[in-house]
Amino acid sequence: MLQRMEMVNGKLTQAEDGTGSVYVYVSPDKQERKHLVEALKLDEHTLASALDPDELARLEFEPEHTAVIFKRPRNYSSDDRFVFKVASTGLFLFADKLIIVLGDNVPLFQGKQFAKVSSLQEIMLKMIYSSIFHFVEHLKVINAVSDSLEEQINTSMQNKYLLNLFSLEKSLVYYLNGLNSNAKLIERLRNNAAKIGISGESLEFVDDMLIENSQCYEQAEIYSNILASMMDARVSIVSNNLNWLMKTLTIITIAIMLPTLVVSVFSMNVEFPGRTHPLMFWIIVGFALSSVVLVRLVWWLKKW
Amino acid sequence: MVGSRSAKRTVIVGNPAGLHARPSAAIAQAVRRFKSKVQIRSRNEVVDAGSILELLTLGAQQGSDLVLTAKGPDAEQVLDAVVEELSKRYE
Repeated sequence: MLQRMEMVNGKLTQAEDGTGSVYVYVSPDKQERKHLVEALKLDEHTLASALDPDELARLEFEPEHTAVIFKRPRNYSSDDRFVFKVASTGLFLFADKLIIVLGDNVPLFQGKQFAKVSSLQEIMLKMIYSSIFHFVEHLKVINAVSDSLEEQINTSMQNKYLLNLFSLEKSLVYYLNGLNSNAKLIERLRNNAAKIGISGESLEFVDDMLIENSQCYEQAEIYSNILASMMDARVSIVSNNLNWLMKTLTIITIAIMLPTLVVSVFSMNVEFPGRTHPLMFWIIVGFALSSVVLVRLVWWLKKW
Repeated sequence: MVGSRSAKRTVIVGNPAGLHARPSAAIAQAVRRFKSKVQIRSRNEVVDAGSILELLTLGAQQGSDLVLTAKGPDAEQVLDAVVEELSKRYE
């Protein structure tokens, strides 16, 4: 799917067919890929990298354009089962146009940073910046999910919440990898700023991006360490909850077993004293109930 | 009962990525600011809108109908807040 955009008075607006300076290709089909490779001379491997979530972020210089692959968080879907994944996006900067290639249809150019843009380089940098912001937002969500799972674990005897926490831990590893990869890319952008046409305020913006990305990485690292270090404690809590349940069941079993024993003894087909006593039934019931009280009393005195 | 009201609205998910992580977190956070309880129904599934865990399992795609039901003293206000969060565009 192709979407054409153009810069009008510092704003990005939808362009008519055949015009525009920003081209957004969402999951390009075979024909679109052929056009990108043959007409615009994009490297086939770099184009494939833009759509491959496992590719690392990187910067490549081609004769007519600069190729940037960066990492961004993939939007979560219920099928992901608490695994927050990372996707790749490709930016191909030409002298007169910017081609954006991504795998899934997400609204681009949202937020105040795109309210005013002056060059294609600026759009490219702001897209990378918005991915850092996106990572930060997702880290907040991961933290909120982790808090909710902890609340559930405190009273749970099931493994599913622990497994969900493991999924979050895995997500943070993906995020750390993506953020680390983006940091290398931003550093390379700064080192090659003149070659790409980044100068003045945009260069300061690259420095800010580097700081923001580093803060985001540290935040992800802290969350990851907390999750990893507390996992053993959480496993113990679930195990302990199960032990408490087993203890309660044992009390119930013993409490039922003793009156059963009393009643069984008196049910034996032999003569025993007072068999013909008119209140014998209630005496036996009394013994049975006393045994329950006795068990409870011993339990209470022993503080089991 | 005095002070307890109920409200109901139907909204359509407008975000291209559906009800994903960030809107879910924002909705759960918004609901917790109010006293009323909110439930969201999508297809045949009903979840507590105050629980991010339940919202993340809803899997509402773009164009899905969501039926919001609130019960409590500030039922209308909490639904206003949820509808506002649902109308935001997320990247």
